[in-house]
Amino acid sequence: MATKFTFSLPLRISYQCPQCRTHSARSIRNASMPRPFSTASSTRAIAAPAIDFSSTDKVPPPNMQNARVVPASPSYFSGRPDFTDNLLSLQALLRKYQTLPTVAPGQAPRVAWRTVSQYRLLVGEPVRASKYHQIIEVLKRLNQIHPAVMPPDLHAAMQIYKRDLNPYAVVKRPAIIDADGRACGIGRRKSSSAKVYLVPGEGEVLVNGKSINHVFGRVHDRESALWPLKATNRVDKYNVWALVSGGGTTGQAEALTLGTAKALMVHEPDLKPALRRAGCVTRDPRRVERKKPGKLKARKMPAWVKR
Amino acid sequence: MPSSICWKCLSTTLTQPLRHGSIKPRIPIYLPTLAFSTTPSFQLPLPAKKSSGVKVTPKKGTKSLVIKKGKFQAENRARRPAPGERKALRKRIVLSNVNALEVQGMQNIEVENMSDQRVEGQVLRLPGPIVDQLRAVEAFKPTQSWGLFQSPGTLMRRETVDMGKLIADMSGEEGGSRRTVKMVLVGEKGSGKSMMLLQAMTMAFLKGWTVINLPEAQDITIGHTSYQPLPSSPPSYIQPAYLTNLLRNLPTANPHLESLQFSQPTSSDLPIPIPPNISLARLASLGASDPEIAYPIFNLLITELLSPGRPPVFLGLDGLAHAMQDGTGYTAPNLKPIHPYQLMILEWYFKFLAGRRRLPNGGIVMAATSQSNAPKVPSLDLALSKLEGSVVTRAGQTVPQKERNPFMRYDERVMDTLKPGRGIQVQRLPGLSKEEARGLMEYWAKSGMVRERVSEGLVAEKWAVSGGGVVGELERAVIRMRV
Repeated sequence: MATKFTFSLPLRISYQCPQCRTHSARSIRNASMPRPFSTASSTRAIAAPAIDFSSTDKVPPPNMQNARVVPASPSYFSGRPDFTDNLLSLQALLRKYQTLPTVAPGQAPRVAWRTVSQYRLLVGEPVRASKYHQIIEVLKRLNQIHPAVMPPDLHAAMQIYKRDLNPYAVVKRPAIIDADGRACGIGRRKSSSAKVYLVPGEGEVLVNGKSINHVFGRVHDRESALWPLKATNRVDKYNVWALVSGGGTTGQAEALTLGTAKALMVHEPDLKPALRRAGCVTRDPRRVERKKPGKLKARKMPAWVKR
Repeated sequence: MPSSICWKCLSTTLTQPLRHGSIKPRIPIYLPTLAFSTTPSFQLPLPAKKSSGVKVTPKKGTKSLVIKKGKFQAENRARRPAPGERKALRKRIVLSNVNALEVQGMQNIEVENMSDQRVEGQVLRLPGPIVDQLRAVEAFKPTQSWGLFQSPGTLMRRETVDMGKLIADMSGEEGGSRRTVKMVLVGEKGSGKSMMLLQAMTMAFLKGWTVINLPEAQDITIGHTSYQPLPSSPPSYIQPAYLTNLLRNLPTANPHLESLQFSQPTSSDLPIPIPPNISLARLASLGASDPEIAYPIFNLLITELLSPGRPPVFLGLDGLAHAMQDGTGYTAPNLKPIHPYQLMILEWYFKFLAGRRRLPNGGIVMAATSQSNAPKVPSLDLALSKLEGSVVTRAGQTVPQKERNPFMRYDERVMDTLKPGRGIQVQRLPGLSKEEARGLMEYWAKSGMVRERVSEGLVAEKWAVSGGGVVGELERAVIRMRV
């Protein structure tokens, strides 16, 4: 009869701490513990822990010929052992806590889970998107457990699947009107950026300390800059004091549009739908398209030459 | 008959005057003098190319570029514009447009209402005779949009009404009001400086003043009219053609010169015999008839106009920077550029502006600066800034007074003319108020140039877009840029 003997291949335990001469904790790591990013194959962690020959409580196997190495996890023999372990442990947690009360659908805290490519980097295995989706499904169900009764171990287990920065946790600082009655808005367009201060007034406009007709020679640009006020019929209700830099005249004028609209929304938040209809709320993300090799500009092809 | 001198001697007589009195020169002696022509030689037509005779044919097998003379090229034989035709078209002034709507209830500008506070913010029509007079002094500019309206009208802004009050006050009979007001109009581009000059001249005409206007200082200094030196030291130059034109327009501009009698001067050094008891208008036309006598007649006329009992005088000049720049388009015989102050007409004007000469019957000397067509004259900028002091803009910004830059060379003649203490006022023309802008826009709407209703919101928007009611920009935004 073959004796099962937990034994690891010395070659596979290559990670050894040079100071303390002890083996890393990675060998006993499982999916419930967060681990650092690694591109190395994670199968070595699944492999069996090192045999401690110095300890005396372990009796040597009676039958040395039949002794063999047994991996720590049965997933060692699967194609994606870390993934399999993770999925199984999550399913085990779900089985364990499935009777806990849940929140109403849609009321669960918003969580940004790691994408499949981020997960692949984490485990170092070529996990398919559809397989990772199984994990996500379980995580979504676990996330529905009411936060008041969320067990700490479950919370810790879910933590490693969350993105490092939760975009939903970022709360925008609310814009305020300062003690002098000014509201500030920042607008950008192309490569220009504008900082616009709006105060209640009679329609005076100063851009970079100059009158608007000195900054923008084109009447069209001046009208663009003041378009949010015009569209909401507020030109004679506010004074504009703006700083604008970068880019060209059109970009600067349209950066002012966005900045003015944002500052106006601080004074009067109810104007947001009107401003959106006027096209002043969304930042235009277009930039100059990069030049490509083989082309004269971004898309322009050289003239056709016969031979 | 053979000539009494040989050919060799003849050629020397052409270049130098004969020394010995034995031979009397029969041939007129042509001394070489500097030609007063500024036309550079490269403007001469190129000499015709000689045909080389040998025609180089391209080698066999090589392709040469052949441009076929098409139908279009052959037929493009339109008449080329005559000399001066294009300029006349460019300088053409159209003062009315029959397609524009007639504005109902539009008042004329009159002696009664020109200083009335109630017409502030209204557009008043320029009466027909005044329009002719203004045309004669070339007060209208081709860039102004007179041609968009049925009849020429002008906005009575606050500064205009103040000017009307001043002119009305100075036209009074009291002796104390017979003073000389010297004024320089400044303001940003399109703020209405030339228009202010026009309005002041209109009101001077209404009050029966004599108006002498130098409509564009650039025309005097860029070297486009003939000039000749005066026997004076330092050398001074007159521009006979320009003076002739000025004298020709004077009687048209000032019809009251017909009724003013020429008092025979005591000095008898007149260039031509002048008949007694002629009117000043006749005297001016006499001067306009011959460029040779234009300068003495001009002097005579000015003396007459400034003699006691004559009406007040308005002296206008537009484009001051051109008249104060460092050098003109003219050159002296030593090939150095002539300074504007050496041109008689400008020197004459600046004497009045600086207060070296008075207008004994009272009057206004008004010069307008220009922002769109002006050379950089640091001396003028500094002098005006010193006269004006620090300026507080409507937006609350303080523009400090300029200081003398130690590394800059200033023209002391300009600095002296505009020295503080000479009593020269600097009148800054700010943007229109919203009420004035509204009055103007309502006039435009009545003339059919604005389609939408002139509401509070529209006025506010266009006022803001025009940089706070800068009237030229307002016009651009409202009636020029129509989408």
